Amino acid sequence: MAQKRKIPGSGGIVIRPMIRTGKQFVNSFIKGKPNTILYPYQILDLPPTYRGKHTLDFNRCIGCGNCIQICPNDCMWMEKLEDPELGKIERPGVDMGRCLFCGLCVEVCPTVAIHHTVEFELADYKRDKLRYGPKELRDDKFADKFKEERTKQRLPVLDMSKCTSCEKCAGACPEMVIAMMPIENVGRSKPEINLAKCTSCEKCVIVCPEKALEMKEIYESYFEMPEPKFLLKDCTGCGACAKACPADAIYMLEMPGTEKILKDGKKGKPKKRAVFVLEKCVGCGKCFRACKFEAIEMPGVRK
Amino acid sequence: MAEMWINMGPQHPMTHGLWNLRVKVDGETIVDAQPEVGYLHRGIEKLVEGRTYTQVIPITDRLCYGSSLTWSHLYCLTAENLMGVEVPPRAEYIRVAAIEMQRIASHLMWLAAYSTDLGLMLGFLYTMRDREVFIDILQALSGSRLTYNYPRIGGVAHDVPPNFERDTLRACNYMEKKLKEYEDLFEGSKVFMMRNVDVGLLKKEDAMNLGVTGPPLRASGVKYDLRKDMPYSVYPELDFEPVTHPDGDCYARYRVRMDEMYESCKIIRQAVQKMPKGKWRVVAPRNGPVGTGLGRVEDPRGEGVMYIVGDGTDRPYRLKIRSPIFVTVSAAPKMLIGYKMADVVAIMGGLDMCIGETDR
Amino acid sequence: MNLFDFCYGLIHWLVDLINNIWYRLGDWLPWWFGDFFTGVGDFARSHGHIAVMAILLEVLIIIIIALINVLNFIWLDRKFMGRMFDFYGPYYVGYRIGGWLQNLADGIKLFVKEIITPAKADKLGFLLAPIIYVGSSFLALATIPLGRQFYIGTNADPLSTGVEASALIAFAFFAIAPFSILIAGWSSNNKYTLIGGMRSAAQMMSYEIPMLLTVASVFLMAGSFGFMGIVDAQHDIWFGIPLFIGLVTFIICLAAEVEIQPFDLPEAEAELVEGWTTEYCGMRFGLFMMTGYLRGYIGGALATALFLGGWHGPAFLPDPIWFLIKAYIVFVLIEWARWSLPRVRVDQILNIGWKRLLPMAILNLMIAVLLKTAGWF
Repeated sequence: MAQKRKIPGSGGIVIRPMIRTGKQFVNSFIKGKPNTILYPYQILDLPPTYRGKHTLDFNRCIGCGNCIQICPNDCMWMEKLEDPELGKIERPGVDMGRCLFCGLCVEVCPTVAIHHTVEFELADYKRDKLRYGPKELRDDKFADKFKEERTKQRLPVLDMSKCTSCEKCAGACPEMVIAMMPIENVGRSKPEINLAKCTSCEKCVIVCPEKALEMKEIYESYFEMPEPKFLLKDCTGCGACAKACPADAIYMLEMPGTEKILKDGKKGKPKKRAVFVLEKCVGCGKCFRACKFEAIEMPGVRK
Repeated sequence: MAEMWINMGPQHPMTHGLWNLRVKVDGETIVDAQPEVGYLHRGIEKLVEGRTYTQVIPITDRLCYGSSLTWSHLYCLTAENLMGVEVPPRAEYIRVAAIEMQRIASHLMWLAAYSTDLGLMLGFLYTMRDREVFIDILQALSGSRLTYNYPRIGGVAHDVPPNFERDTLRACNYMEKKLKEYEDLFEGSKVFMMRNVDVGLLKKEDAMNLGVTGPPLRASGVKYDLRKDMPYSVYPELDFEPVTHPDGDCYARYRVRMDEMYESCKIIRQAVQKMPKGKWRVVAPRNGPVGTGLGRVEDPRGEGVMYIVGDGTDRPYRLKIRSPIFVTVSAAPKMLIGYKMADVVAIMGGLDMCIGETDR
Repeated sequence: MNLFDFCYGLIHWLVDLINNIWYRLGDWLPWWFGDFFTGVGDFARSHGHIAVMAILLEVLIIIIIALINVLNFIWLDRKFMGRMFDFYGPYYVGYRIGGWLQNLADGIKLFVKEIITPAKADKLGFLLAPIIYVGSSFLALATIPLGRQFYIGTNADPLSTGVEASALIAFAFFAIAPFSILIAGWSSNNKYTLIGGMRSAAQMMSYEIPMLLTVASVFLMAGSFGFMGIVDAQHDIWFGIPLFIGLVTFIICLAAEVEIQPFDLPEAEAELVEGWTTEYCGMRFGLFMMTGYLRGYIGGALATALFLGGWHGPAFLPDPIWFLIKAYIVFVLIEWARWSLPRVRVDQILNIGWKRLLPMAILNLMIAVLLKTAGWF
């Protein structure tokens, strides 16, 4: 089949192609309609993985802005909104005129709040109308109709404000996944969990007396996000990073022994420092941008 | 009539894409030819600077929009070479199945344009109908029809959909039936053979000296296919034969591409049946090391090479792309001189020019 | 009843209708107007006047039939092509009748386009070329009878066979077209149209000769140069059956004359944009396209009259309908081959014309001579 040479003109001169077209002609009446989809009256049915218009779940979105950073074409922006139930929030909007529909924003979202739907009829008369703000993209019920593809696991999540450093969780873990690391200048230690090795047995959650550990469903992330590096000597304890963090990964803890003696003899309030729970960090870089004293270093993130 | 230069200019219904071919014509016979490319330069190598390693993947998709999986796969191979990432075997098999389906789709699109240029509009509609079958499978796999954004550094973006195996095997059976129909339609008509046999001869030594790769090289009798000679990915474990043809004319190039479609069907069947279970993606490091990486792949049009330089941050410092058509089109004068004006269409169509990757 | 009698009766009735009012008007008005009206009324009733009007009405009827057939051909072409290529043809415009009104929509679109004449074009030639092309084709159309009683002519001699040598006249007018194509290609002042025009003229000229030789064999067998004589000679057996080679040669030459794929290199070539009609815009281009299909219709009618027995057929349908059915069958055959074959290169076209068709035509002529001298016809 590959090597031998075909002799030109073998077979009928014009008969063989004409038989093929004749067959096709007859088939198009007998075996059903021609292979055309009459567009405005019939629509192609698309698979659910099709990348069409975005939809945003306001309840799941934490406003981290990872999607805005990973977009190759700078199509997204963050909008500050006031929602009656959720309060003052920040949610992203998409400019469909620039969007590549590449799907990277959907892949990088840590809480799977943004999805692609099957809708593709997005044409409009004016270029400004193509900028879809978060209110136009909002659909809180989309996740119920949609079969999720990303795997999720139940993993323990630490709330540092309740932790007393009693070390019971590290003792209870059968896989030795929790390590108690000391925090500088605070004098306590905090548990650091190696989430890759956790088997979700929930023993640490049961054992904790203050209920500082909670099992939540965390989606698997395939991207290695940048991690913030904290420099203690520049930290002034202003708390801007803790307010800015969308994933509750920064807690301000008091440093004992730093209270100032005030003029009338009373002890003032002790200074605070930031403590990072890096398992919860999503790599958005808001702490990096919020800190005015350059105490946080995060290479690779835009200012 | 004296000799005159004719511009088959940038705006022309025959040339797919935007390039200029100047031919010097003496009556009806061609005496000299000069191709001119560069009208579609979009600055892709510049766009890549300043984007992270993952953000580059949608951009490499748009290099050659006729076969875009090849280029994003090539980029992922290059980046994995730089970072030293091991891809899990399931991802390799999925990638091979998708690439071979993309190869069939690309060859079908070539056939559509080729037969329309020769005057047979039938070829266009039948091949596009059959290409839909493969594009639908790739759409269910990745989510988009033309620029897939599917391979990632460290594997593929997500797992195959259900019914992938059943649909793929059905598509391969359908394609083999249709290839027999195309033989009837094209080789069964004397008119087609008259226009293609002994037209546009490219000798073996000329092809090798000018750096031509891909189907035009194999149609001149040289057995050189990167999938066998410098195997990458999981090709050493698959059983197929590169296709060659001893003459170097237009008919040989047509025949090589049709037989490559048969071979691709074989490869897809083996890849889909041998696919192991397991992970399909590994987390790649964010920062690339300081160093260089190289990747070579057999594009449907020839040999594609990418060279990447990393400098320790999470954005590549430089990406260099070698496109096959850029080199092959310089063989145009050798193939055109001595033939008639009406043969230009058949000869240049046989090279399957996709200007997106030529001009980058 | 003859077509002429029908038209004569119609015009006579119409003139009487108008004259009712006209004479009354003449009687009512004073004498210096009245005489004028009566004189005109008398002139209108005279035999000469009605005969001339009847001939004009005949011409109008034949032209309308031809143009409606051309519209049908274009519609059938597109629907047929659609079903062969696995899509619908025209579908939405005129939804209930299968998309036939698409032709009218295309015609209206061509009318409203702006007409541009290139600055350096030869104005006289540029304007004359469509006129000659269209005019010669209509003249060729005028001589073809559609039935025993259905032709342009008077009934001066009821047993006459129409115009003597009408087939010869038809072919003579049919062959003026290459001349106009050369004028069109040259006067557009464009390198590409010049090449296209030359190629077209070469192609048409080289396919005239086998066509005329084939037709000569038919003249030989029928013993007359006129359509009536040829069709009457086929009442036993159609000429297509003994002269089968002639039929095939004639249809191939017809496809080359009308510039239908696989022979349309001068026209729709991938490298010469539109060939010799590139510089024509709007309805001028529409005229060229329409005349292309009109020549297809004329060729089909000629093939029917010469080879397929003209209007002979079972008596349950009138003669012109049989004629048109056979012309449509020839057209469908050409269309089927048209969409299945790629384009032939120009030197290969000339090759086929001179080296393959000419011997076939001569062979056909010899068969005709043999059959005629053997006394079977």
